[in-house]
Amino acid sequence: MSFKFSKIRILETGYNSGPWNMALDEVLMYCANYDIPILRLYGWQPPAVSIGYFQSMYEEVDVKKCKQMGIDVVRRITGGGAVLHESELTYSFITKIYPKNIIESYNLICDPVVMCINKLGFNAKFAPLNDIIIDNKKVSGNAQTRKKNILLQHGTILLDVNVEKMFSVLKIPSEKIKDKTINDVKARVMGLNRTFEQVAYNLKESFSEKFGAEIIADNLTMEEKENTKKLTCEKYTSDPWNWKKKL
Amino acid sequence: MRKAHNIYKSKKLIKVSLEYDEYSKIIKSITIAGDFFLYPEESLDALEVNLIGTKLEKYTIEQKVKKCLSSSEAFGFDSESMTDAILGCLNPEKNT
Repeated sequence: MSFKFSKIRILETGYNSGPWNMALDEVLMYCANYDIPILRLYGWQPPAVSIGYFQSMYEEVDVKKCKQMGIDVVRRITGGGAVLHESELTYSFITKIYPKNIIESYNLICDPVVMCINKLGFNAKFAPLNDIIIDNKKVSGNAQTRKKNILLQHGTILLDVNVEKMFSVLKIPSEKIKDKTINDVKARVMGLNRTFEQVAYNLKESFSEKFGAEIIADNLTMEEKENTKKLTCEKYTSDPWNWKKKL
Repeated sequence: MRKAHNIYKSKKLIKVSLEYDEYSKIIKSITIAGDFFLYPEESLDALEVNLIGTKLEKYTIEQKVKKCLSSSEAFGFDSESMTDAILGCLNPEKNT
């Protein structure tokens, strides 16, 4: 089955807080015009740690340290692991037309991300289930959820990596293996060393090429902004959501 | 009543915390966490609810896990590793 769209609505929403970023992704799943898929490009200011839907904030994040360092914490609606969002471009793609097979859908949406990275001079490839790698080093992690037949996939494209900072705010099982873990991750993760704008330009172009779609630059509607503000306050900054799982 | 905790490495990490009756081995409460993927996500809540009142022994736990996740797709673990992660709470070395 071929997946083509006549148009893709592009939202470049700039740098925002972790809770606001996650609230907007959810709002776009429920309030968007489903006939036109959405590609949203964004960054994080202040930096934020997001944890996967099934993770426990207590277990994964040194929240006290995050507060001291001015780093937000937030739980995602998607699975996967904890991520420090700082030097990266994050994208979200929201569509009602997608392969029902989970791996196929990851592959489909990661493909234009791979194309974007390769346009920047790399040799990236999709590594199922949800990673994109260059020479066996992870450069992009992706996660998706499906609600009411709408698919949301969001993912990071790393511009730079600060593993020491990441491990200063994420909890690891034992301090004894901290140095080894840091060295292991350094060997397995890399940033593109390109600007946000360079990646954004190529990502829009790649999604357009992949899906044969005209890209329509757009802004958030008043309703989307209001719903995001409400959801930020009621859910993504709330303890019942962020601290749901206590082990 | 005894509290137990286990971290199990499947393809992804599974972290289980539970309370059980020391004599009957019946689960009184359970929380399962991890960096895995499960579609639909709500299946995990259903599994946790269904495991309450279940005896901590392999066959019974495995059947519950299989039944609760039968219409879900998991990435990073399978029914067997989830069962082992839960039963691993009985290992006194790992219990808290």
